[in-house]
Amino acid sequence: MKVKDQFRFIIQNMKKNKVRVFMTVLATAMGCAFLIVLASVAFGLHDTVLKDTMESGEVTQIQVHGYEESETSYRAINDEDIKLFEDLEGVNAVTRQKSILQEVTFSTEGYEVPAPAVSAHFPSEEKSGLELAEGRLPEAPNEVVVGHHFASSLIPEGQSAEELYDEQGLVKEEFRYDENIIGEPFNLKLKKIADGKESSGDFDVTIVGVMEAPAREWEWDQNVYLTDHLLTELEDFTGTPNAELYDPSEMEVTETSETSYDNVTVYAANVEAVKAVSDKLKEEKYATYSVVNEMKQLNMLFNVAKAGLIFIGTIAILIASIGIYNTMTMAVTERAPDIGIMKAIGASPKVIKRIFLLESSYIGLIGAAIGIAAAYAISVAVNLALPMILEAVFDEKLPSGLRFSSIPFSLILIAVIICLTVTILSGLRPAKRATEIDVLKAMRREI
Amino acid sequence: MINVNQITHHFVLGKKGNKTIVPVLKNISFQVNQGEIVTIVGRSGSGKSTLLNLISGFIHPTEGEIIIQDKKVSEFNETEFADFRLQHMGFIFQNFQLIPSMTAFQNIELPLILKGMSENARRKTTADMLKKVGLEDFGEHYPSELSGGQQQRVSIARALVLEPPLILADEPTGSLDSETEQDLLQFIRELNRDLGVTFLIITHDDEVARIGDRTIALADGKIVESGVFA
Ligand SMILES: Nc1ncnc2c1ncn2[C@@H]1O[C@H](COP(=O)(O)OP(=O)(O)O)[C@@H](O)[C@H]1O
Ligand SMILES: [Mg+2]
Repeated sequence: MKVKDQFRFIIQNMKKNKVRVFMTVLATAMGCAFLIVLASVAFGLHDTVLKDTMESGEVTQIQVHGYEESETSYRAINDEDIKLFEDLEGVNAVTRQKSILQEVTFSTEGYEVPAPAVSAHFPSEEKSGLELAEGRLPEAPNEVVVGHHFASSLIPEGQSAEELYDEQGLVKEEFRYDENIIGEPFNLKLKKIADGKESSGDFDVTIVGVMEAPAREWEWDQNVYLTDHLLTELEDFTGTPNAELYDPSEMEVTETSETSYDNVTVYAANVEAVKAVSDKLKEEKYATYSVVNEMKQLNMLFNVAKAGLIFIGTIAILIASIGIYNTMTMAVTERAPDIGIMKAIGASPKVIKRIFLLESSYIGLIGAAIGIAAAYAISVAVNLALPMILEAVFDEKLPSGLRFSSIPFSLILIAVIICLTVTILSGLRPAKRATEIDVLKAMRREI
Repeated sequence: MINVNQITHHFVLGKKGNKTIVPVLKNISFQVNQGEIVTIVGRSGSGKSTLLNLISGFIHPTEGEIIIQDKKVSEFNETEFADFRLQHMGFIFQNFQLIPSMTAFQNIELPLILKGMSENARRKTTADMLKKVGLEDFGEHYPSELSGGQQQRVSIARALVLEPPLILADEPTGSLDSETEQDLLQFIRELNRDLGVTFLIITHDDEVARIGDRTIALADGKIVESGVFA
């Protein structure tokens, strides 16, 4: 018997009891939709978290804190290490920064601000995908780039703090520096101690660029980014590494003054390469941190949640399967005389079994299809309505891009597989019963 | 064609501990040759239907063997026997055994569907068959919309549609009036003569018994007579 004919056969049979079949399909669809919607919440929230991390641009970053010389001692990363990192496969760029270890004051035309100064290797920064909000990267040694909040941190000289700041700790509007900061010459003031006496030096710098705002709203960036070259000048002035404020003549110089960095970030070429690079670094005894590695635990957590919700959803489908079992059992009983006749004229038990299994899986498939459609509709509705409700109730804006429910193809596939498996299993016994129908009894209408 | 070899059959009634054995057939042996019409007669309860059901494979003999077309069918499993029935046997039952939810056309088409014939070939074969039994205008009728004689013709059409070499009939005229009975007998003779179809027919009607080339008489599960019906 051809599959097409078997199919036509079951359609005919199902038409004979539309209401019963409809109810069974409905129950299956509800179970399936329940499973999908339930699990879609874990998928949605997971997506949101992942997307948030991906968009923050930190995913391809691996921070290298130091080299593990022994169990307890680390040394800072030096140029040799940087060279090694840059030569690793899958590494796009290695940015390295050195902080200036004293407070540096920047001033221009009556405005000033103490700001952390950091030296950076700009070609690497550029390669890593650093983007400026305005201007360009430094080309001459005395050119600098400033953080996004640098300009708004500038304060007029000689003002008392009470007047300057509003209740949020920001400089009040009327005191803000309101000219274009690009191209502005600044004075960099730095202290040094020589022969027990403190004195200060002035350096001319020009702001050529302003950084993009930090990825997260609460982050504050008023750093000044200097060239390596300028840092060397400053170090020469103080006579100390990183221009730290102490008397160099009082310190025993233990090491040769080898450059070491305090903020080294390895940028992998893509997310997929992060793991390999970070494993390699670990193998080489570097202490690293990457968001992707942290994400592993989070992913694990979400996967457990997904599995749990799918399991609960499966219970709903199992309940629906009782309906299928019932429907199929009744169908077999009702059609027993027909089955008997078919067997008498030469339908093999296998064919009979297949017809009934096909029927129950067909119910399962239609149920799943309707369930999927319903789940999609519910998912869309939830994503639209829930934020509105939550915002209304808690009177607080939800983070943008937050998705409560997401239905990936894999979830659909899982739901269909579970639905089909359960329906086929529940149709198994009735189908077997159908094959066991006694021809003679059936023809005597004794069943 | 059919070789029934020392068949003994009994039914077991009741459950364990309280079993009753009902002996029905005792050491039955006979043969049906290709192209023959053999009728089986006997009083009600003599075991005629049981014998035919054994040959049809609806029940398994307690003892003995049945060989049909050189196949030891008594050793077939259910699936093998079903296939064998589809390929080699047609059935005519006393109460027609048509599927009530299917039209005359669909009932006749059923064996072709089971055999896996293509839809076009099926249509044509079924239409031809309907014509052959004189029901070309009744294809879309459901069994409940047909007279007894018409229903029996549908069931004959269904039995013949795959052109089996052997047709088994259990009291085929039992539900028919004498006129349609005559039609049916005429039809059986023609099929036998023109197509060489072998018939094994159970009846308790002398008229029907007479169309047999040979008649076997059963009494109390034994063959008591065999020969030309007189
Ligand atoms: N399924 C069965 N279970 C028990 N006894 C049966 C069964 N089928 C038939 N019999 C018995 O076997 C005997 C022969 O029955 P059957 O072959 O139908 O006779 P016939 O067709 O000649 O009238 C009867 O006594 C009947 O009661
Ligand atoms: Mg009988």
